Amino acid sequence: MSAVIAPATSRAARTIYLDYAATTPLAPQVLEAMLPYLRGGESDPLLWANPASAHGPGYRARAAVERARAQVAALIGADATEIIFTSGATESNNLAIKGALEFHGALRGSRRAHLVSSRTEHRCVLDSCRYLETQGVRVTYLKPDALGRIAPAQVFEALTPDTVLVSLMWVNNEIGVVYDIPAIARGLRERGVLFHVDAVQAAGKLPIDLREVPVDLLSLSAHKIYGPKGVGALYVRRKPRARLAPQMHGGGHEQGMRSGTLATHQIVGLGAACALAAQRLGEDAVRLAQLRERLWQRLASALPGLHRNGDPQACAPHLLNVSFEGVEGEALRASLPELALSSGSACSSATAEPSYVLRALGRDDELANASLRFSFGRATSVEEIECAAQRVIEQVRWLRELSPFGKDG
Amino acid sequence: MPLVEDSNPFAYPAPVWTLFRSAPRAGGFAPGTPGVVTGEAQSNAARSRLRLQLRFERGRVADARFRAYGCPTSIAVGAWLAGWAVGKDVRELAGLSAARLRKELEIPDHRAHCALLGEDALRAVLDRLPEDPSP
Amino acid sequence: MPIYFDHNATTPLDPRVLEAMQACLGGPYGNASSVHRYGRAARDAIEAARAQVAALVGAQPQEVFFTSGATESNNLALQGALATAPAAARLLYGATEHPSVLETAEALRAAGRAVEVVAVGRDGLLDWAAYETQLSRGPVRLVALMRANNETGVIQDVPRAARLAHARGALLHCDAVQAAGKIPVDFDALGADLMSLSAHKIYGPKGVGALVKRAAVELAPLLHGGGQEHGLRPGTENLPAIVGFGVAAELARDELERRAAHCRRLREMLEAGLRRLGAVTIFGDSAPRLPNTVQFALAGWEGEALLMALDRKGIAVSSGSACSSGKGEPSHVLLGMGWPRELAFGAIRVSLGPSSTENEIARFLAVLSELQALGAAA
Repeated sequence: MSAVIAPATSRAARTIYLDYAATTPLAPQVLEAMLPYLRGGESDPLLWANPASAHGPGYRARAAVERARAQVAALIGADATEIIFTSGATESNNLAIKGALEFHGALRGSRRAHLVSSRTEHRCVLDSCRYLETQGVRVTYLKPDALGRIAPAQVFEALTPDTVLVSLMWVNNEIGVVYDIPAIARGLRERGVLFHVDAVQAAGKLPIDLREVPVDLLSLSAHKIYGPKGVGALYVRRKPRARLAPQMHGGGHEQGMRSGTLATHQIVGLGAACALAAQRLGEDAVRLAQLRERLWQRLASALPGLHRNGDPQACAPHLLNVSFEGVEGEALRASLPELALSSGSACSSATAEPSYVLRALGRDDELANASLRFSFGRATSVEEIECAAQRVIEQVRWLRELSPFGKDG
Repeated sequence: MPLVEDSNPFAYPAPVWTLFRSAPRAGGFAPGTPGVVTGEAQSNAARSRLRLQLRFERGRVADARFRAYGCPTSIAVGAWLAGWAVGKDVRELAGLSAARLRKELEIPDHRAHCALLGEDALRAVLDRLPEDPSP
Repeated sequence: MPIYFDHNATTPLDPRVLEAMQACLGGPYGNASSVHRYGRAARDAIEAARAQVAALVGAQPQEVFFTSGATESNNLALQGALATAPAAARLLYGATEHPSVLETAEALRAAGRAVEVVAVGRDGLLDWAAYETQLSRGPVRLVALMRANNETGVIQDVPRAARLAHARGALLHCDAVQAAGKIPVDFDALGADLMSLSAHKIYGPKGVGALVKRAAVELAPLLHGGGQEHGLRPGTENLPAIVGFGVAAELARDELERRAAHCRRLREMLEAGLRRLGAVTIFGDSAPRLPNTVQFALAGWEGEALLMALDRKGIAVSSGSACSSGKGEPSHVLLGMGWPRELAFGAIRVSLGPSSTENEIARFLAVLSELQALGAAA
């Protein structure tokens, strides 16, 4: 008779947070920078004023917004006038994609329009594309190879004379694959096609210099780089000028491209987060990549039947995505309550559907579902990685042992 | 935020969570163990499989084991069945319904298939029962 | 100490709101969409805030959808309602609506939709005869009418407008941004189908608002992706801001009467003082108005100049809505009410809050009196 004993439940009272790709905690320096714009400054008690107001406190709030704009621009090698503040990356991506197509007359059927994107983009990009399809826009969704890669040539081959825009992410949020954005951008510039890049997972992880890389539109989010939730930015190139139709009207804020009262404290927080990210970029990237490799080595040396998702040769430093053979996905996640992590992007993890990104890479439903996305951040320690690896190894062994497949008794 | 160990962060029903985490009677009997009857059920839609082994002595279940592949609820169903079956005779076993399983484990509607999986596994055992299960 | 008389542009954060926000700004809350425990804590906090906001306006929690602010709420209401209606169904909106309604209407017009302005009278109140005629001239999808005007504080009879709209099969959207927290707002009593709210006008944070929507109203989303807020408003939830909005809404409900009485008393003091100065026009003063707002023009002064002169004395007021200030255009609200351009150019808006004091009113009146003397001398 063989008895299977469940591993002892963890005595570790602390949850190990390994979901930095979903959201990051606010950096203390960022919170510090935001507070005067929430409660008023010590020498300037009205700093919470509306930055659109035409009085002294309003002007000083406006000045803080403009300083933040310069900080955001500096992180990506842009000019401050090229930065539009939004409510977050979802809005930035919507504005870039729908705004560009609408500006080019695609929505009123006055022009045949074609859009190129990929099957592994973020939900908000895919949903924007699908909306445009209902409006008569033709969309090509590029298929990545088994390692999640899309070759620049694949992008260029998809272009047609009607192509208005190509929208691709710099770093995939589920598997961490890094696209060769510089090569794609140069090729698209030569061909005169507008290029939007969702850089939400790339910012603060990879160097981005838009003076060198001719991207036209680029989305950023604050809360993925230790800034506040509810704020993001869209870079809109000035030379040559990328043109957009605004999606939110009223008041004419942000050069008419995005109306609505500017949330000074959040914008200041985004600026401070960008300044911090620029300062820590090299150091963070090296350390995170070491943590990622350590975790992979631990898991792969202890467990057979593992699949590392995405190209390990072109992978963002903060992400590791692994599929586990022989275990069921939901049980796997439930067996690790002390680890805060996702099975895919946060936006789809509440549903039990297997990751569409992993499906696009050719993983079957079973393996796509039995996957864990580990993502690391500034506070992740080697001890946490060791502890997480041990928990995963124990639980995968236990669930495999529990499974009736391949066992007589 | 206070982080309590093993605090069921995914909000499974309490009986499901406890049985999933402890999984009493997980495993199987060695092939050839006298009196053991094995039943298996699977639900393709939910990609789960449950194997229930009951060892009979003089018409009653003397011991039980289960193995499961599937979501935490289906694993908990297996653990509960194996524990409940001990001491029962065939009539009592035959009286178990999926509804009872759902009630005992507080299984919500969208997980009802896990209770059916349990009922099916038990039925499979009963179907394979010899006329006189006690050796 | 500087005097802040611009509470209709934005309000300071209530310290109790900040306290609630700081708990989640600093804490390890997750992305509300993540399944792990951090995510669950975030979701619970969001649902608590939703109930608080609903309670302020007598709505059901499931009728409240969080947005990035009132501009987005108004855009979502107008664009979303028109997108789900036949092309011939029109949009009607008041002449003195907020720019986020006016410009969204303009964008819809540019996209080929039929949109019509409904006139208001010199007192700022809707021209009922014109409104009924416009309603009767064919299908109307949506009527957009604000509860209280941001510049004049004039309160529209939204329940009446809603009854007339419903009789013609039209929906009513009410921008209640300025009314909420200043006068009682009840979603059902207003008869509204859609309603916009903003946190930073009720001592909550900037960057968050809500659209209140009856379940039966079909709206197309403005943003696509992610599925948050039942797909009506995707994007990672702005947790600290939403929590802050919730607390601000609860405080607004608890303290509404006290705040309103305080502001009304000071406003009466201010208006009595203004009348003593003479050569003052108070806009909309024959109509029901918000207790905290007075918009006036001082003869001989241009609004922007008066604004700057007051600013130098440490007094923050507005010449109209914050969004349109600095554009060198007179208030569209006053023009819509039929006031001449010269007078509209002279408009100053004072908007009071619970922290305003009698001393501040007295200082303000003294400064105005000085400036008036200067102006007369010049």
